[in-house]
Amino acid sequence: MKMYTATIPGSAIKVRSRESYYARQKRLFVLVVILVAIIPLLFISWTASHFYQKSWLDKTTVELTSLANSRREIIDLFLDSQENILAGYAELYDFAWLNTPGNLEKLFKAMNRQGVIVDLGLIASDGSHRNYTGPFAEHLKDKNYAEAHWFAEVMQNGKYISDVFTGFRDVPHFIVAVTDPTRSWVLRATINSELFNSLLASAEVGPGGDAFILNRQGELQTPSRLEITALSAEEKNILATGGDLTIHHAQGYLYATTGMKSNDWTLVLKTDIATSLADFYRAQKRDHLFIACAALLVLAVSTTLVRSMMDKVEGADQQRMVLYDRIRYSEKMALIGRMAANVAHEINNPLQIIGDQAGWLDELLDDEDPAQLKNSEEYRTAFAKIRNQVKRASTITHRLLGFSRSTDGLKTKININTLVEETVSFLEKEATNHRIAIRRNLAPDLPEVLTDTTQLQQVFLNILNNAFDAIGNDGAVTISSSVNEGQLAVEFADSGPGLSEEALKRVFDPFFTTKKAGSGTGIGLSISYSIVERLGGMIEVRNGKQGGCIFRVTLPVAP
Amino acid sequence: MSGLPILVVDDEEEFVSTLVQRLRKRGLSSEGVLTGTAAIAKAADSDFGVVLLDMRLPDMDGALVLQEIKKIRPDSRVVILTGHASASEGEEGIRNGAFDYLIKPVEFETLLEKLHTAGNHGP
Repeated sequence: MKMYTATIPGSAIKVRSRESYYARQKRLFVLVVILVAIIPLLFISWTASHFYQKSWLDKTTVELTSLANSRREIIDLFLDSQENILAGYAELYDFAWLNTPGNLEKLFKAMNRQGVIVDLGLIASDGSHRNYTGPFAEHLKDKNYAEAHWFAEVMQNGKYISDVFTGFRDVPHFIVAVTDPTRSWVLRATINSELFNSLLASAEVGPGGDAFILNRQGELQTPSRLEITALSAEEKNILATGGDLTIHHAQGYLYATTGMKSNDWTLVLKTDIATSLADFYRAQKRDHLFIACAALLVLAVSTTLVRSMMDKVEGADQQRMVLYDRIRYSEKMALIGRMAANVAHEINNPLQIIGDQAGWLDELLDDEDPAQLKNSEEYRTAFAKIRNQVKRASTITHRLLGFSRSTDGLKTKININTLVEETVSFLEKEATNHRIAIRRNLAPDLPEVLTDTTQLQQVFLNILNNAFDAIGNDGAVTISSSVNEGQLAVEFADSGPGLSEEALKRVFDPFFTTKKAGSGTGIGLSISYSIVERLGGMIEVRNGKQGGCIFRVTLPVAP
Repeated sequence: MSGLPILVVDDEEEFVSTLVQRLRKRGLSSEGVLTGTAAIAKAADSDFGVVLLDMRLPDMDGALVLQEIKKIRPDSRVVILTGHASASEGEEGIRNGAFDYLIKPVEFETLLEKLHTAGNHGP
């Protein structure tokens, strides 16, 4: 692609670095807006969820604590009452009465109003089972407990409550045993532990939660809701047996543990934090979605706003730069014009004198005797040559003065063909160097136009310079002029490669250039465009049918 | 030609002296001065048919000299000489009472012709 943009020498605007400057500013603004808008959003969202979570944990801890305490009290109370009832009977009745057939049944019936006692047995101090009432008479009738661990303990301490076991009875149960005050016999009741199960089952620990009782060995005394049969090693570590009420927060669960039955057993309540917080997490998810949407909106709005704002700024800056360049350019032209005028004026005086002196000498020669003058003709030729050279020099100074006159911004009536010729005369040397032929197809007898000659000449120069750049070497530029319906048109057709669709659209845009970086500012044609526009005319570009591109300048005919 | 002398006003002594000599050689009575003040004084002294006036003078503006001369000698024809190839200076002079203008450097023949036209013009 050849280059098609006019250059004004000295107008070195660093367009590229400015572009990245605007891009940087855009990024910075977008970043700032995003930070300012989104950080508070994220902060609020984070604190809200943090505080909600914390308050939920606090509330759950309080609830779990009170639940654990109430269940511990109920169970302890139940165990105490069973033990006390049994101890009361052991004190009230003697061995003989209890050993009398039928009496133990009576007692069993009285005790078992709640239906929790499975059976009742009377054991002598030697461990022999003396009397029994309950469903397992066949099995237990002749059993001797002398070697049993619990028997030894009850004989020593006067009372004993066992852990829960299933045994041959096939239902979870535990035994409560007491001695008479003299410790000579033992009254033993087997109690169904289903009551504990239902007590714990009704504990509100939420979905995924659990409630159970452990013995000192960490074995489950009641069934787990989650149907675990043994504790994991981690849980065993966490859940120290016995002790006062403790809250643990581990592995996504909240645990409340408290010792009961004189710290033989430990009540464990366990709540699954994730399951309990499900509602919260759903809300949080909604929140996150909302925040993401809001952030996206902020991003889109801020990006759009900043982009449109910065585009406006960039556009204004570019316009300003074009204007600035134009002013600088015309100032420079005016300065050059003034200098040229001064130089020309100063030279015109000596030229006048030189010419006059030569003429004077020529005249004086008439007075001489030709016979005395050997080189008379030589003199006359020399004087004529001097006067010719003066004339030649004066056309140059007149052109300089003409140029300076045209820089004063005044509109004058001119013949456009003359201006074309004058402009071409500036570029003739360059055209010859690059073997570019300049063909003229100028309509004769064109009406005059009232215009700013220098400015229009600048436009023609820009177009011709671009044409030369596009051609490179060997080619032609055809300049045609015509008039139609009060509009004068000058067309510059070059034999270059022509312009792409994109370039045709943008060729008059400020800073658009197809020249490689550094060789064109892309401002010449944009200035040309505004000049012609200001002069009431139009400048257009199209590709020629035979290739190359054609710039067409139209101007109104002078009234 | 009216017969009245020609006054040449220019700050270039070499230009003035040669021109006066050449005019006199052709039987045209003429005088030369180098300043505006001298030109006005001359015009006050005696009548001139044509005044050739350079617009750039060392002591005063040519336009002012034109104005003064036209005041003293309304019948004198003033031909303006200007170093600017600008028609505007000459045209402005014509509006202010000058007969015509010439742009330097000017051929002696052209100058002579213009002086004749000016001298033969008028009353």
